[in-house]
Amino acid sequence: MSGASARSLAKGSAPPGPVPEGLIRVYSMRFCPFAQRTLLVLKAKGIRHEIININLKNKPEWFFKKNPFGLVPVLENSQGQLIYESAITCEYLDEAYPGKKLLPDDPYEKACQKMVFELFSKVPSLVTSFLRRRNEEDCSGLKAELRKELSKLEEVLTNKKTTFFGGSSLSMTDYLIWPWFERLEILELNDCVDHTPKLKLWMAAMRQDPAVSALLTDPKALRGFFNLYLQNSPEACDYGL
Amino acid sequence: MRFCPYAHRTRLVLRAKGIRHEVININLRNKPEWYYTKHPFGQIPVLENSKCQLIYESVIACEYLDDAYPGRKLYPYDPYERARQKMLLELFYKVPHLTKECLVALRCGRECADLKLALRQEFCNLEEILGYQNTIFFGGDCISMIDYLFWPWFERLDVYGIADCLNHTPALRLWTAAMKQDPTVCALLIDKNIFLGFLNLYFQNNPDAFDYGLTC
Repeated sequence: MSGASARSLAKGSAPPGPVPEGLIRVYSMRFCPFAQRTLLVLKAKGIRHEIININLKNKPEWFFKKNPFGLVPVLENSQGQLIYESAITCEYLDEAYPGKKLLPDDPYEKACQKMVFELFSKVPSLVTSFLRRRNEEDCSGLKAELRKELSKLEEVLTNKKTTFFGGSSLSMTDYLIWPWFERLEILELNDCVDHTPKLKLWMAAMRQDPAVSALLTDPKALRGFFNLYLQNSPEACDYGL
Repeated sequence: MRFCPYAHRTRLVLRAKGIRHEVININLRNKPEWYYTKHPFGQIPVLENSKCQLIYESVIACEYLDDAYPGRKLYPYDPYERARQKMLLELFYKVPHLTKECLVALRCGRECADLKLALRQEFCNLEEILGYQNTIFFGGDCISMIDYLFWPWFERLDVYGIADCLNHTPALRLWTAAMKQDPTVCALLIDKNIFLGFLNLYFQNNPDAFDYGLTC
């Protein structure tokens, strides 16, 4: 049995069986922001799913058959179809499953969401760089770069005059970018949103969303994970279990 | 811009879907000030419609055209097959940078064996996909969006002087031959001499490069 809080599968583990009808499986890792995107969409759309956590510091050999890049998240359905790359998994779920549409039907509005998402593209690597270097040197350069990227997003909210990036209610872009904003506080990067008041308001509004709040990671666990992960410990992915 | 591979993608989709359009070419070395109101960094391609809606990033523009216009769909309907094409695009992401680096190296008289090796490796990955799928095109037995999204860089291999990077990838060579048979690809093929003329002027930093070959 596996689920959100299950121990991760590592090298030497047996490959899991086929996905049962009526479920979709996501290969994930409890602290991965990219996988969190997929989990948010699964939650927001109420899609029945099972989670298999992967030990990213000690990957099972069979996992490369699921994704040649060996990364999470990966979706697997009962037809054995595999989908990877977090943004692609999210769009697939929105198209394949009924219920609330997270991407707009209107082609221009959909294109707008994708253009806004492009504005966010440098943030993940900046946050990772910061994580790797925060104990060593002066990170003011990195922080300045991060502030610059965040001000692009602030501009979008200012121009649109809406709370969320897609309008007055939460939609795909909000979920796709959220996981990094969740991590700002734990990484002591909260001051990077000091000059972006609309972004601050957006963050507060996001925390009110049922899917976001259901998947919030305990800050202590995240800190514990970061420490072990940076030491390349195979125990990192299961921290707190 | 007549020689830009990213804009080429959008022009292929416009043509393939038979969408009535007008083209405004931008001099990329001497951009009009007003162009920054169309794109914050002055990049191409940008689509603008009669409602003054602006769409940029070549892949986003191509998907917008496929969604917004009727007729032949270039992306599949099936969500998994759509996802598959987008995953294939991820496999391609190093190719534009590598081909450009090879071009610049060769034009500047530098060695580029490492770059060509890296490019060949990327082509091997794509070759593997065609082998595994056992289809002519990347989306199946008919040409589709992903083929058009890849094409502009393959068309440029010869004129960039790196066509030999396809030497060990027969399925990819068959694919390029099949692509050249496609009416849309054919209609937009750029004359080799004109392209070389553009490249010569471009690498001399001549702002007239972009209009090379135009008679008026």
